[in-house]
Amino acid sequence: MDLKALKKQESKRKISKGYMWAFFCALFWGLWYLPGTAIWVLNPFDEMSSAIAKTSGDNVSLVVTAVLITAFNALAVMLALMIWNGVLGKYGELVRTLKEFKPCSKWFFLASIFGGPMAVFGSFIAMGFIGGAFSAVAGLLYPVIGSIIAYYWYGEKISKRAAIGIGVIVLGGISIYGGGLLTELSSGNAGNVQWIGYLGGLMAAAGWGIEGAIAGKGLDIAEPDAGLTLRFLGETIIWWVIAIPILAIIGFPMYSFAIQAFEPLTLLILVFAGITFGYCYVTWYKSFPLIGVGRGQGIGNLYGFCAVIFIFLFFGDVPAWTILVGGTLCILGSFIMFTEDASALETLRGE
Amino acid sequence: MSGKRPIKFKILELFLDGNEHWNYEIVSKIQDEYNMNGNFYRDSINFDIIELASGGMLKDVEQEVDEAGIYKKGFLLHKYVITDFGKIRSSDACLRYV
Repeated sequence: MDLKALKKQESKRKISKGYMWAFFCALFWGLWYLPGTAIWVLNPFDEMSSAIAKTSGDNVSLVVTAVLITAFNALAVMLALMIWNGVLGKYGELVRTLKEFKPCSKWFFLASIFGGPMAVFGSFIAMGFIGGAFSAVAGLLYPVIGSIIAYYWYGEKISKRAAIGIGVIVLGGISIYGGGLLTELSSGNAGNVQWIGYLGGLMAAAGWGIEGAIAGKGLDIAEPDAGLTLRFLGETIIWWVIAIPILAIIGFPMYSFAIQAFEPLTLLILVFAGITFGYCYVTWYKSFPLIGVGRGQGIGNLYGFCAVIFIFLFFGDVPAWTILVGGTLCILGSFIMFTEDASALETLRGE
Repeated sequence: MSGKRPIKFKILELFLDGNEHWNYEIVSKIQDEYNMNGNFYRDSINFDIIELASGGMLKDVEQEVDEAGIYKKGFLLHKYVITDFGKIRSSDACLRYV
């Protein structure tokens, strides 16, 4: 075979593999909202929230329960990624990357602050207060935050196309938030608006946008498999070494409920959450060098659709039409924003 | 040798001489130094090079068909050179900048 035909074949192979990874990312990310929603009604988390609600009120109890759920999620993801690294024979690389704290791994730990206590925690709060579909679709706003940060921090230019995409995503956001708010306000119980749930949705979008911008600083000179594991190691430390002990000292029964999580069904759901969330991160990064960060993110954002479909299939919940319209606009916007011209496939960052 | 650095650091270090290198040369050097034998590790190291290139730190300057099977028979061989951005990121990573 001649050089030209082989080049064509190689780029075809790269592109189809890249799309496959990105599609798996959307699938795993969307699937994650199933265990994420189901975990709230399982022991010990449902007992925990009703026990704390008696003394501290509904809102505090849901937030404190979300801390324990997020902590278990982080632990499960870290374990899933540890197994992944073991299968790939990358423990050596994991240790080598961890040791490079100043140039490299500090970025992963910094990213975990925004990814964990902000994005994942916010997602769980949105799931607990409002619902899985809202949480999934609200997170779709993260590219807006991500590109604004990249603009101010790296001086990355926002092209006209990207600006139009951002505009469409923001319209989607208005539909997602505005629709729910208007319904709640017009139904006459303005005092019962789930502000904390909406705040959780905003935290998810802002957290993922910031996490991406920070983690990128370390990930381009590290192997993503190792880097992402360190990112979740950081989150596990934040929850289990800092947040949970602090809440326990304040007087919340964190440990007594944490021990009760070792039940077969709860563990099964947590394993499911760890696998889906861990591998959605891994597959996301695998797609970038093959089809470009933009396409990878654009396809990855189809997770919003996947989540809505899975939640419908498994729980029978049909989200409000404003969430469907908003989600569609967000996904459309991310395609406008990210799918630049074809030459971008050759090298992603121009010289 | 203890205290090895992450593989991508090592790849960038090899390219910091400013010369063009074929992917199979870099891959086999890393395989020897990190004692990572076998086709699985070969492909994994090569994917690191692809990632560095897609991140704009290396530039793919020449391709050739692997007729003789020095790397993977019937596949493409790629020759890369470090970019200015690659040099900057290398110095961020505390690699010596020659």
